[in-house]
Amino acid sequence: MRPPPGSEKMSEDVYATALKSTLTEIKKICPDINYSFIFTKEGAIIAGEGEADEALMKKVVQSFQSLAEKAVAIGGLDAFSINGEKGKLHISRVNDMYLVLTASPDADTTYLHSVTNVIVPTVLKLLENIAPPTPLKLTPSQELVVDILTGFFSGDNVQIDDTHLKEWAQHLGGKGVNEVEIETVDGKKTQCGVKEISDPKRQGKGLILIPEKKCRALEAEKGALVKVKPIASDGDLQNAS
Amino acid sequence: MPAKNKPEEEIEKMHVTLEDIKAREDIIGYILRDPKSASVDIKDPSKIIDYAVLSSTVLDSGEYMTNAFDLGEIKNIVAEGENVKVLSLTIGDHRISVFMNKKVDHNAIYKDLRLK
Repeated sequence: MRPPPGSEKMSEDVYATALKSTLTEIKKICPDINYSFIFTKEGAIIAGEGEADEALMKKVVQSFQSLAEKAVAIGGLDAFSINGEKGKLHISRVNDMYLVLTASPDADTTYLHSVTNVIVPTVLKLLENIAPPTPLKLTPSQELVVDILTGFFSGDNVQIDDTHLKEWAQHLGGKGVNEVEIETVDGKKTQCGVKEISDPKRQGKGLILIPEKKCRALEAEKGALVKVKPIASDGDLQNAS
Repeated sequence: MPAKNKPEEEIEKMHVTLEDIKAREDIIGYILRDPKSASVDIKDPSKIIDYAVLSSTVLDSGEYMTNAFDLGEIKNIVAEGENVKVLSLTIGDHRISVFMNKKVDHNAIYKDLRLK
């Protein structure tokens, strides 16, 4: 069942607020926790607790996603933990999301896991019943490799593969995508027009061709990875991962 | 006078420990790498490349996240899949990954690797 018009944003807020409150409550039960946050398997950070900054969380998510790709060899990645001298990190899968926790070195991880493995799935289940699970059906963002668009006629638009534009349009119920938001791993963002790649030699390679001037503004070099989110033709930035 | 110097003895000991661990039930195999060489002993040879790539990525991602969250020196890293998990650690300039079924107590394996 589709949510009523206008309710998607509200349900996303409900999700984020409820999950943030859950993380806060978990921290009250387990004071050994330093930071915690939740992200979807597509990489969208839904909620966080503690003082970890967003750029740091994004880099950690990207590192985890790269690891998850290689973990196909062991049947996917259900959990990942680091036992360090100054602290512990634990990432565990909860339904279609991942919960990240960092804790002090003396934290009782068995207790921690038993608390999180009960509370977070219960809250997610509750949320799915009371609010449509829109965050789990986000329009997928794309991670693309920067290539520089040079020449007199390069214009201001970036160019990406037509397949991405079509896929996004499909997710947006047929709305055309004329603009995108580009975000670098350092958190620098810009919005600009988008067209399909005109040079056949550069099609189908996972590239985003960015005019030289915009590349300089983003401080993105050729070969860098950037996250690209669609902006629907009505100007709505899609809450993509 | 000892016949071998200390690092060589340590490497030999490590090999013996890993062979001993590998012989246990539900242990799939191990990868031991140092800057100059690598020893790989995985029961299913068709998985050697995938496991080698995963082992390297686990340690690299682990180091990255450890620095990001200031977790100090890494004692061990565990990545768990559907049925298999991998325990990775660094001893000196040796990078070790032991692959095992999920039900194996990886803490016991870790202790064996650190103690011997």
